[in-house]
Amino acid sequence: MDLLGLFDATLLGSLPRFATPILLAALGGLLCERAGVFNIGLEGLMLAGAFGAVVGSYFGGGALAGVGVAVLAGLALAALLALFAVTLRGNEIVIGIAINLLASGLTVYLLRSIFGVKGAFQDPAVVGLPIHRLPGVEALPFLGPLLSGHSSIVYLALAATAAIQLLLFRHVIGLRLRGVGEHAEAAMTLGVGVDRLRYGAILASGALCGLAGAQLSLGNVTLFVENMSAGRGWIAVVAVMFGRAHPLGVLGACLLFGFTESLGFRLQGLMLPSQLTESLPYMVTLASLFVFRARASRG
Amino acid sequence: MAAGLAAPAFELEGITKRFGAVIANDAVDLRVAAGEIRGLVGENGAGKTTLMGVLYGMHRPDGGTIRVAGRTRRFDSPLDAIRAGLGMVHQHFMLFDSLTVAENVVFGSEPARGGVFDLAAARRRVARLAERYGLEVDPDSRVGRLPVGVRQRVEILKALYRRAEILILDEPTAVLTPGEQSALFEVLRRLAAEGAAVVFISHKLREVLELCHRATVLRGGRVTGTVETARTTADELSRLMVGKKVVAPQVPVHELGATVLGVESLEVRGRHGRSALHGLDLTVRSGEIVGVAGVAGNGQSELAEAVAGLRPPAAGRVLIGGADLTHAPIALRRRAGLAYVPEDRDGTGLAVAASVAENLLMGFEGEPRLAPRGVLDAEAIDARARGVVERYAIQVSHVRDPAATLSGGNRQKLVVGRELLRDARLLVVEQPTRGVDLSSIEVIHRALGDFSAAGGAVLLISSELNELMTLADRIVVMYGGRLVGELERDNASEERLGLLMAGAA
Amino acid sequence: MRPWRTALAGLEGPLVAVGGAVAAGALFMVATGHDPLAAYGAMITGALGGRGLGNLLATLLRAAPIVGMGLAAAVAFRAGFFNLGGEGQLVLGGLAGAVVALALPGGGLLTALLATLAALLAGGLWALAAAFFEIRFRVPLLVSTLLMNYPARLFASYLVNHPLRDVGSGLPQTERIAGGVELARLGAGGRLHLGVLVVAATVLAAAFVVRRTRVGYRMRMAGLNARFARAGGVDLDRLGYGVMFSSGALAGLVGAVQVLGVHHRFIDGSLTDPLWAWTGLMVALLCGSRPLGVLVAGLFFAAVQTGGFGMERATEVPRELSRVLQALIILFVAAQARFGFGGGEREGTG
Repeated sequence: MDLLGLFDATLLGSLPRFATPILLAALGGLLCERAGVFNIGLEGLMLAGAFGAVVGSYFGGGALAGVGVAVLAGLALAALLALFAVTLRGNEIVIGIAINLLASGLTVYLLRSIFGVKGAFQDPAVVGLPIHRLPGVEALPFLGPLLSGHSSIVYLALAATAAIQLLLFRHVIGLRLRGVGEHAEAAMTLGVGVDRLRYGAILASGALCGLAGAQLSLGNVTLFVENMSAGRGWIAVVAVMFGRAHPLGVLGACLLFGFTESLGFRLQGLMLPSQLTESLPYMVTLASLFVFRARASRG
Repeated sequence: MAAGLAAPAFELEGITKRFGAVIANDAVDLRVAAGEIRGLVGENGAGKTTLMGVLYGMHRPDGGTIRVAGRTRRFDSPLDAIRAGLGMVHQHFMLFDSLTVAENVVFGSEPARGGVFDLAAARRRVARLAERYGLEVDPDSRVGRLPVGVRQRVEILKALYRRAEILILDEPTAVLTPGEQSALFEVLRRLAAEGAAVVFISHKLREVLELCHRATVLRGGRVTGTVETARTTADELSRLMVGKKVVAPQVPVHELGATVLGVESLEVRGRHGRSALHGLDLTVRSGEIVGVAGVAGNGQSELAEAVAGLRPPAAGRVLIGGADLTHAPIALRRRAGLAYVPEDRDGTGLAVAASVAENLLMGFEGEPRLAPRGVLDAEAIDARARGVVERYAIQVSHVRDPAATLSGGNRQKLVVGRELLRDARLLVVEQPTRGVDLSSIEVIHRALGDFSAAGGAVLLISSELNELMTLADRIVVMYGGRLVGELERDNASEERLGLLMAGAA
Repeated sequence: MRPWRTALAGLEGPLVAVGGAVAAGALFMVATGHDPLAAYGAMITGALGGRGLGNLLATLLRAAPIVGMGLAAAVAFRAGFFNLGGEGQLVLGGLAGAVVALALPGGGLLTALLATLAALLAGGLWALAAAFFEIRFRVPLLVSTLLMNYPARLFASYLVNHPLRDVGSGLPQTERIAGGVELARLGAGGRLHLGVLVVAATVLAAAFVVRRTRVGYRMRMAGLNARFARAGGVDLDRLGYGVMFSSGALAGLVGAVQVLGVHHRFIDGSLTDPLWAWTGLMVALLCGSRPLGVLVAGLFFAAVQTGGFGMERATEVPRELSRVLQALIILFVAAQARFGFGGGEREGTG
């Protein structure tokens, strides 16, 4: 097999599509991490977004409405997460697990209540995200398929990375956020609203995960499937660790994970069993944890 | 001295604060003038920190009034207190290690243009403030890399940046070398001269007499007296603190035997991978109490943890009873006769959510008497626990109650009681009386003495020089991960220890 | 009196959580245009009533894998290990059980035992790998166990779609195992099988180990405060390997019980689609990882699920409401910090 031959337009063109949902969720996770909240509910927030996007697009008559409802769905579930994690001060890990299971149960329940189907919902009335072709860039070798021909959410994700980089290290809110995550009590003695900042970070992660979900169900495909987030929220959790909660590092991690997904996708085209190619992203993500070497979690 | 004539900067009147059934402050009056440095002294648990917590808006008082600059105030949070012109330097610093000095100082009231943080302005203001009050700091240093004394200056700058006119310092000298301490005193005198009211909380009478204009003594939540420091003595202050004349305890002379603990050229890496111990040599003999003095963070904890097996040494040897246990698992060290009372009582010494009996079982669960054939004998375990509770007068209603229901002193007695249950020949003990009430201190000190009199070897790490000088046969001083001096008990004095602790001798 | 007082104190939290979730679920139904009273009524009948206690038997049958997976999670949580990999461990256990049952000639009880043993080993080793990664390489267990579910599931799916596929049936499943290897039925004609008793006995054994033995004491203390246990001489690495292997092996056991007792072959998705592992995990969280509590909470969640079927038949409410209710219960559990992992306060929060 010609290895270089793998790097064709299919592979390059799918990389941004696959990397974007992970990147958006990871940016949300990053903000929470910086604020001192370990958010493992990204998976559920993303799933809620994916479902919301399909609902919005179906009833609202367009992709924009889909994106709007996706963000609202992510926000609503994130508000619940924030209520339990910040106001009621519950165990973050248990809350994250509960949010993921709630999203999975709710979407299946609503899938049946609203559309009367099980498993998956596909309908011509669900409008997908439009594709933007960048004139000039499009024709370039390699760069063309990589940069051109994606939904606006893909470009938005890149802009969000830059915006969060600036927010964290140039803006007063970023300084306070970092302080809150490092030593909440100290921030509190200086009159900085710890709970407010944490709510903000969690809600932002809800909106970002909502966008991620919209990219999944209206960008990469145009349908909703039960549990279609398929562990991407968890891969995002690893991306935050791997990128050391730094926007550029997280971007790098997400490009790597997105690349393995598109590589798996590409290999599937070569008649390899789909089960084997699909497990590639999880294996690579797992492997990256060996490089990351978390701080010792036990005594 | 003009201090007494100036208008009061703040007045506390009849402040009462209860925590459950415990009365921490009982109708306390305190009036401090602008330009005055006031000492607030008392034993652990006398109510000093609670009183200042009330003044600083951290606790809501159950009774009494707070007046600042003549106006009655109600503080719901420290923020209210900060706005009213108060500043507090906490015993545990409230700093962000990863941020710079300038960022730490302005945090929460940052100079900004349209939300964008103006770092240049922050650096400028901090540098100007530092210069004006003679607080030498580099605004661009990361706080995590600074020595303790400089961090304290950052805390003071934080208060000054917020225009504090009343500055409260909670045990500020506990972590300082004598050199850093006199620098701090210079700064505080200067602040007072410029009209600030300073409250200096301490239980080190010598420092209070040196620095403060007046001292207020608390005992059991009440004020027992306010005295002019120029017209009083340490003896009188301690009488007010303790309620009776303090008699120096009789120090038994120990019969020294064979070497029990041998530490040879020990090298240990500390928390940030930096070297914390550099080739340390130390021996403790049977019947001997060796005290370890030093300013916190000079390798004492790493020494204890390396001996206890919680921190693997990078080089060197640890011998207990002649056996090389440098890399031995903790269980093996325990079997070789190691008992260990850690500094972090709730984090290492206890599982506070577990019962008293379960806490007393840790490390003994392998004994056939308590767990025949691996099955726990609840009766035997409870009976044994009741024995310890009785011997150390631990206040608990039932041995199956969680350790979390115990007070600090009782928790400490629980740890000490458990560790001395074993047939140990070496006891490593860190800060045995920190945050412990007087009667518990007495029990713990007696237990340490009895253990050594029976031939046990004790390595006693403490920041209380008094404790070291009354209990230890000899005192070694650690500085920068090395032993920099050793004094026999008869030659030890706070001055000589202080010089060694500063690395000056 | 004291044991009673502690037992009741332990119940208060879960009851509040269930109450909160039931109330939230009712609001949710009203919002989506359903009658909550009718739905809950149908749910209770659906879980416990029915002709000849049929629904109760269905609940018991459903409870076996839920309780089993609840125990698998509880064993790990109790010692402070966040094993989220029950699903993969369950699948690999079921797969190994089916493969051994199919591969060994003869059949009969010995084959069933060997198949179960293979299931225990497969589940246990998969979990042990995650423990090894954490202890040797500091790879966080919480994330590694979760991520390891996907390759395990996909691997099993690959095998039954390709090399092990029962070509005759045309479905992604293995061939049927020999009749003699199947777990015995309890009572003639019923669907209850020996596996239900196996799970119940395992819970009782685990309860004894956790509450009354030296190893159980070390587990509990490590779960409450790992540093305390370490300073006291507990070998946390060894404990971690043992606990994670046991947790995975219990998941594997559930896989074998389902394959040998219910499906009689390995069917793609049959162990993952009913969400046994995740329901079990919620069970462990609800009961503070107490083994006997797993029995109660597991039966309760099984009843909620079978009740969901009854509710769907009797009213317009889809049975997936059960999943919403379960997740809400756990959300309320999370709000009570002391009912977090390990059944007690975490290090340093006291």
